Amino acid sequence: MLKKRIVGVITVKKGWAVQSIGYQRYLPLGRPETIAENLDRWGVDEILIQSIDRSTANQGPDYDLIYRLASRGLNTPLVYGGGIKTREHATAVISKGADRILVDASFYDHPEEIRRMASVLGAQAVIASVPLLFTNSGIALWDYRTQRSRGWPSACAGLLTDSIVSEILVIDKSHEGTPASFDISFLETPFLRGSSLIAFGGINKPCQIKDILDMPDVTAVAIGNFLNYREHAVQELKHSLPKGSIREPYYELLHS
Amino acid sequence: MITVGIVDYGAGNHASVTHALRQLGYKVRFGCSADVLDMVDVIVLPGVGAYPSAMEGMESRGLVKYLRKQAAQNRPMLGICLGMQLLATEGYELGHTPGLDIIPGKVTPLRSPRWHIGWNSIEHKGRDPLLVESDREIFYFNHSFIFDAPEDYVVAVSHHGLQFNSIVRRGKVAGVQFHPEKSQLAGNRMLKNIIESLYYA
Repeated sequence: MLKKRIVGVITVKKGWAVQSIGYQRYLPLGRPETIAENLDRWGVDEILIQSIDRSTANQGPDYDLIYRLASRGLNTPLVYGGGIKTREHATAVISKGADRILVDASFYDHPEEIRRMASVLGAQAVIASVPLLFTNSGIALWDYRTQRSRGWPSACAGLLTDSIVSEILVIDKSHEGTPASFDISFLETPFLRGSSLIAFGGINKPCQIKDILDMPDVTAVAIGNFLNYREHAVQELKHSLPKGSIREPYYELLHS
Repeated sequence: MITVGIVDYGAGNHASVTHALRQLGYKVRFGCSADVLDMVDVIVLPGVGAYPSAMEGMESRGLVKYLRKQAAQNRPMLGICLGMQLLATEGYELGHTPGLDIIPGKVTPLRSPRWHIGWNSIEHKGRDPLLVESDREIFYFNHSFIFDAPEDYVVAVSHHGLQFNSIVRRGKVAGVQFHPEKSQLAGNRMLKNIIESLYYA
């Protein structure tokens, strides 16, 4: 049986891993590759790197970071997001060591380019980032470039119905970095219905994670800051979740 | 020391595979020319991508004829994920594309669910030594197409909505649908067992 995943998220700003609070305030954590090595050693199911300043600065993907991560010989699947605008960016990110890509701004601005990426990489390698928040008029999309909310672009709907992206990273923008605060209603957003969803933002408690993983469209839970507070955080978390739907905790030292 | 040659066909996650193989103690070379690949002990086709563009990359580098010839000469070869699917007779991703035709079979889409992404177990069919230690172990999959091969070539299966082939083998050529290089301890063990059993077979 396919297991649901615990994804470790590393948020990177100016090349450094940071603790993010609502994508508004940032505290330095250290080198991304060191944190990735810890997550790899603790047996997280997937590692997601989000380089949050690459698109706004029009810098393209952080190839140097991907190369440094790949050089560490991580044995955990790696997803990279940040600055990916073209098919050429996407293929280079994969060839330098990522297994999948996370697209953000280009998902909304250039859906045709996302189709080109999927035609080369396969849709299973493409994840879309969808940061959501509540406004007076209901659920809206957060545009981190303008720092404003916006409606759901109609062009994106086709990318979901045509299976151009395989999974959606649903981000609770307002609660990101705040413990046990993820708003589960985002996972029932009408325009996401039927898509495979990864929940992220304000998720850390086992009972909360269990409730989210029990939702049929949810394939994974992504956790950022909360996995960095103590050693073996991934194994501890997995021990506290019901067996069966997730991969059991993995201990490198016990097996080697 | 066994030398592994990773085939460069312009796509794929060769960096990840290279690092995993080096960690296991193998010497690794990377290239698309006979000069490089003739000198290695085991040929590896990595893979992340779509079938037609991968075959186009193979064709444009003269690898289709070369790899068929190597398989006919019984040289050890391992395909990973898309690399496994390229070993098939034909693929149906974004239309029909002839494959390397090294292991009979066709590559067809998963229907429902459309993706198979994440960690899943494999189930050993028979007594292939490739799998002595890995039966029922869990590996990382990331694909939306499957390799439909005659039973004689099926070494292991997995389940996701339907049963599909997760390892195929014909002589000294094997393919795995999952990513052993990204499957932590279980993957490293499997990768080492496959490389060495193909090499010493």
